[in-house]
Amino acid sequence: MAEVTEEKMKWGMAIDLDVCTGCNACVTACAMENNIPFTGEDESGYGRGLHWIRIQRYWHGDYPEIKPDYSPMLCQQCGNAPCEPVCPVFAAVHSEEEQINLQVYNRCIGTRYCANNCPYLSRVFNWFDYEIPEPMAYYLNPSVTVRRRGVMEKCTFCVQRIHAGQEQAKAEGRPVQDGDIVPACAQACPTDAIIFGDLSDPQSRVSQMARSQRSFRQLEELGTEPRVIYLKGGGQYGG
Amino acid sequence: MDKVIALTKRPAFRIGVGLVLLVLLAGAGGGLYLTQTPPPQPIQFPHNLHVGIGAQCQYCHPGVAWGPTAGLPSISKCWGCHQQVQKKSPELEKLAAYVSRNEAVPWVPVAIQPDFVHFNHRPHVAAGVACESCHGDISKMTVAEPQPRQNMGWCLDCHKTMAPENFTRLSDCSICHY
Repeated sequence: MAEVTEEKMKWGMAIDLDVCTGCNACVTACAMENNIPFTGEDESGYGRGLHWIRIQRYWHGDYPEIKPDYSPMLCQQCGNAPCEPVCPVFAAVHSEEEQINLQVYNRCIGTRYCANNCPYLSRVFNWFDYEIPEPMAYYLNPSVTVRRRGVMEKCTFCVQRIHAGQEQAKAEGRPVQDGDIVPACAQACPTDAIIFGDLSDPQSRVSQMARSQRSFRQLEELGTEPRVIYLKGGGQYGG
Repeated sequence: MDKVIALTKRPAFRIGVGLVLLVLLAGAGGGLYLTQTPPPQPIQFPHNLHVGIGAQCQYCHPGVAWGPTAGLPSISKCWGCHQQVQKKSPELEKLAAYVSRNEAVPWVPVAIQPDFVHFNHRPHVAAGVACESCHGDISKMTVAEPQPRQNMGWCLDCHKTMAPENFTRLSDCSICHY
């Protein structure tokens, strides 16, 4: 399309663990936004739960003085992603345009190599077609594919919202501004612990957080170049 | 082993296999045929007549200008013109009946994409793609007819002809599949 060709955005996310309360609002919001079915207790017990974002809980300290510590874990949208080269059908591909990892559902044949190679365990597999009873079908988001059995899925950084934000900005004839695009988890976060934005813009909120002294990346030593930046100082929630 | 060969040489077996193959082939052919025929509509809407008297596509399908879907006109849109037009046709009587019941016309969408494909009209219309280049020559149709062979290769054939600096975006999986 012969329209405005804007600079490529490098989407990133910053998660401030010092203000995360582990309330799971992001998990719920993600499930509603992305048509993630509820698999139930039994299936989760088998390790077949479907979550694109989950809250990992760690305990700190010795017995009477133990404190919880929460860490939301989602697809890190690695710049050098271990999941991509192992896919035999190129269903896990890197988006040159949005600089994120994609999962192309209609290509996926369900070998699960990608999930086995993901150090963050952030990919989940549809072991079954999970039934959605009739009135519940109205909650489905029409902008997101309802995945079928045998397909791998993962966090997309709410790419449908990225596209909607870009479309909105283009329709109004202006560049995408910081804060235009908010994924479901960041929108739902009551403590504003999750910040999403453009890492290539040094003035964006997420870039400023990424430069913080408290910032670190998960399993940085593996060289995956994650796009999700965690912030953690000395203190923690409740402590 | 001898028994198996004897079985495959039996005429009844061969006829049976042939019949099964025929049924499968007919099913596949019929299925393909059904996807290429216009679905039954509640009103045999004459597109050719409306386009012929100069109605613009966007007058009834304005959604293309701002969003992903073109939209189907509501009864108030139809009735805005047709309450002033003499009702000579039985199809218009059907419309009048819907309006008197204050009921939406249950139009059946024709140009549909699979669930894993997300198409957006706005950028295409903004780039000046004519409606006819994808939807066929509407001025020769009564009810809208599905266009054959609109697959991903067909999309990319057109995207390939765009400016090379835009092709990275226009060939990106995430642009349609998410």
